[in-house]
Order: sequence, then structure tokens, then C-alpha cells
Amino acid sequence: MDVTEILKSLTGKFPEAISEATADSEIRARAYVDKEKAKEVCQYLKDALQFDHLCSVCGVDYIKRNELEVVYHIASYDHPVVLMLKARLPRDSPEVESIVSVYWNANWYERETYELFGILFKNHPNLKPLVLPEDMLGEWPLRKDYEGFPNKTARNLV
Amino acid sequence: MEEKLGSNEMIIHLGPQHPMQPGPFRLNLRLRGETVVDAEVELGYIHKGIEKILENKTYLQGITIVDRICYLVALVNEECFVGCTEKLLGIEPPERAQYIRVILEELTRLQSHLLGMGEFGEFIGFMSMFMYTIREREEVLGLIDMVTGARITHSYLRFGGVRDDLPDGFKEKAIPVLNNLKKAINDFEEMFRTDRIYRERTVGVGTLTADAAKSLGVSGPALRATGVPFDIRKNEPYLVYKDLDFKICTETAGDSFARVQVRLNEIRESIYIIEQCLDQLPGGPIFPEDTLYGRRTPVMRVPAGEVFHRVEDPRGEMGMYMISDGSDKPYRVKIRGPYYPTLQALPPLIKGTTVADVAAISGSMDGCTSEADR
Repeated sequence: MDVTEILKSLTGKFPEAISEATADSEIRARAYVDKEKAKEVCQYLKDALQFDHLCSVCGVDYIKRNELEVVYHIASYDHPVVLMLKARLPRDSPEVESIVSVYWNANWYERETYELFGILFKNHPNLKPLVLPEDMLGEWPLRKDYEGFPNKTARNLV
Repeated sequence: MEEKLGSNEMIIHLGPQHPMQPGPFRLNLRLRGETVVDAEVELGYIHKGIEKILENKTYLQGITIVDRICYLVALVNEECFVGCTEKLLGIEPPERAQYIRVILEELTRLQSHLLGMGEFGEFIGFMSMFMYTIREREEVLGLIDMVTGARITHSYLRFGGVRDDLPDGFKEKAIPVLNNLKKAINDFEEMFRTDRIYRERTVGVGTLTADAAKSLGVSGPALRATGVPFDIRKNEPYLVYKDLDFKICTETAGDSFARVQVRLNEIRESIYIIEQCLDQLPGGPIFPEDTLYGRRTPVMRVPAGEVFHRVEDPRGEMGMYMISDGSDKPYRVKIRGPYYPTLQALPPLIKGTTVADVAAISGSMDGCTSEADR
């Protein structure tokens, strides 16, 4: 299965939810997805297009556009194409449906994205901090406006 | 994990510090008698915030930071970071630099697998195994030291090349080390095959099926031990791997014994790759000609863009997602380490086994908590 075929199938199935679908090279593709449809698209990718391997889920803070993005890198054990699926979220209430029921290993990636960016994954089975201590919840350290050390981090020490 | 305990149930905490662990994490086991009925991993004891640190360092400084994701595989981490940056810059290292990188990365694979096997032996009470493998590993580290000047955390790769050329007499030093290692690997294999206690601790323990491994997101030797031929060096070749002759090592059993067997075979393949590289090593520069990139460019601006680059780490699939906004520092770097999903898959794997087997299963995964926590 090659990259143009995959993008064609994806945009054909979800003409409204998928936008800006482009192929960067023979093995890399990218697309924006409507945040309401992210889980549905992932399910379709897994069932119909052999995307059975979730590489990672991460967040990116585009502070100038006042947006957060959640980025899914979805690959396959059978073909070499990696699809970069992005969803735009408003910065003041970032919410997106969890994909743990589609890809089991999204669990920790979503927990990490939640504690570092404050992106809320709805219907996640166990949404609590993974690598940060619990008293840092709400600081969202990987956002670009995080003040960091020593203004915030050292506050707990004095 | 549910707090309420039934009769004859108890919770024990393995860690954060435990001889079985490849770094600090806490494993909460809920036991009924000696059987594990539930398990939970708690991370965060060694979280270094590397992704945030990288946003505040120039690209060149970033090379020293990615070394510290996991010091065992520092050169592979560098390859991933430097590979991302090179794709954004649109440059490619000259052939000689690519061959040198492959040699160094395969040496990294050798020493990582050797240490992984030795630690695994130690976890299941096979103490002499650690002594055997660490002796061979030290020779391999000596070779890496000879080129990079450091045993671990080398800061050796540069954008578009490598910091220094191979020293004189490297090939003459490397060949005897590799030949000794080949003999040692045969000895190890014979020992594993015939040692009754070792077999009883590992055969049929922690068995993964191919479907389970795929749905858990596991990669690397743990996945290849189930029979899935998934190796980034073949599926998505980088550097000069497409010109080299090697095969993907797979086993079918999927248990702890098979995982160690895959590592043994991979050591053989890596030795074969290094020998080919030493024979075919072309002459020429170690930096692209007619460009400014090289070891003397401390500040450089990288064109805006984003890239996702994957390399094959000794433990599996290592990926980095790098976004540049055109400045001299990366806008965002996401590190996708191979041990992170494997550690996540540990609780379902050890459910239903006995406490004694937890070390045999967790150890055979060859972990590095430092990389999972980043």
C-alpha cells in the first residue's frame, strides 16, 4: 500500500474531517483531523489501512496561534508509511477523545501529554500524572508560557 | 489498581530501588498466594525533562543532552537527533562518515546487548553470566573509546558528519576483538542451551504471541522473538544500511529464552555488518564539501519545518519528532523511546505468573528506565 493510495482512501472516507492531507515523501504523510473525529479516524486507519502500530502521541504548543496541537504518529508493521495525524485544539479548553480503546499503548502517551500540556483526554481509563509529581499538576511545564525554574519549581522548596 | 484486598491477598512494592530493575521505577504487585493477580508501574523517579531542556539549547548543545536519554545507547540517540536535523537542513553526510556512523552504532548495539544479557543473568541468579559478558563488553567499549574519546556519552556525531575520523590502526585493533567476541558468543549460546537451571527459568516464561506483542506496541528483540520481522534498518533504511548485507533475526517462541536468543544472533549480525563496513570503508571527507556545516559551526539556523525520523535502537524503535521554527533552537522535540511501550506492557505480561518469574520476564526485556522517563 503506498502513500497516495492511503491518503486517497482516508480523504474519500472522511471528506469533511480530514484536511490538508499531503505526502512529504514515499514513507511520510500528514493530515489534519477534526478533533471530534480523531478516534473514529484512528479506528478506520487500524481496521482498513493496516495502521496497527501507534508510534507516539504528543502535544505541541503554538502559543502565537493560541492553539495546542495533539499529534499522533501512526505506523504499521506491514508497510513503511508513517502518518502524522494532527488535531487543533483551543488553548483555553483543550479536549479530545481518548484513543486507548483503539490503540492500547496510547495509555501512557496520553497521560504524559495530559500532565505536560494540560490536554484533557476524554474517556481515558486512568488519566493521572505519569512522570511528574502530583503537586505539579496544573503547571503544564511543556507549554511555552511556563515560567519554570526558579520562579515556579523552586516555590515548593522555600 | 484496586485498594481493597481480598483474604489471602497482599500488595508488595518492588522498587523504586531493587536489584531487578534497570533504573528506578516502582512496580506494585497484588498477590494472591504467590501468584500476581494485578500489577501497576509507577514512573517519574528519574524524569529529567529532556524534551524541555532541548527547547532551550542550540542544536549543537542538544547533541550532548540526547546522549543522556540512555547512556547505553548514546550514539543511537545521537543518530536519531542528528538525522532529524539533517533532514530539516537538507544535507546528507558523505559516504565515509555514514560508514563510520554505522560501525560505531553497531558497536553500540554489541555492548548494549552484552550488558543486557549479563544483567538478565544476574536477575535470575546466574551471577557468572554478568562477569562473562562484561569482560567482552569492556573490549568493545575500548574500541568506541578509541574513536570517540569516551566510553559512554560520546557527543561524537555532528550535523552532516562525525567529529573525528577513525584513528590509525582502528581496523587492526577491531578485528581481533570481533573475532574473540564471535567465539564468546558461541560459548554463551552453548551455555544457555545446555544449562538446565537457566532453561527452566526462561523457557515458556513470559510468552508473548505476535498479535499480543503488536497490540501492546512492543518493538525490537521482544517483538522479533515472536516471529515478526520488524527492523527499522530494513523497513526504513537510513545511512548505508541498504547497501549492507544482513538479515533480521527472528525466533518463534516469544518467551524469555527466545528474546535472549535474538540478542545473541543480532550480535553475530552486527559483527558481520562491522566487518563489511571495515572492508568497504571508502576514503574522502567526513563532512559534506562546500557547506558551512561541520564541527566549527556552533550556531546555525535550521529552516522551519517538521520531521519524524526513526532509527533502530538495540531495544527497538527509536523515533524523534522535531519541529523547527527557523531559529537556532528546536521548537519542540518529542522523543519516542523503545523501552517506554515495553515497560507499559509489563503489567499485562506478568499477570498470572509467580513473583519469582517477574525478574525473569522484566529482565529479558533489557530495559532502561532512564529512557522511559526521559
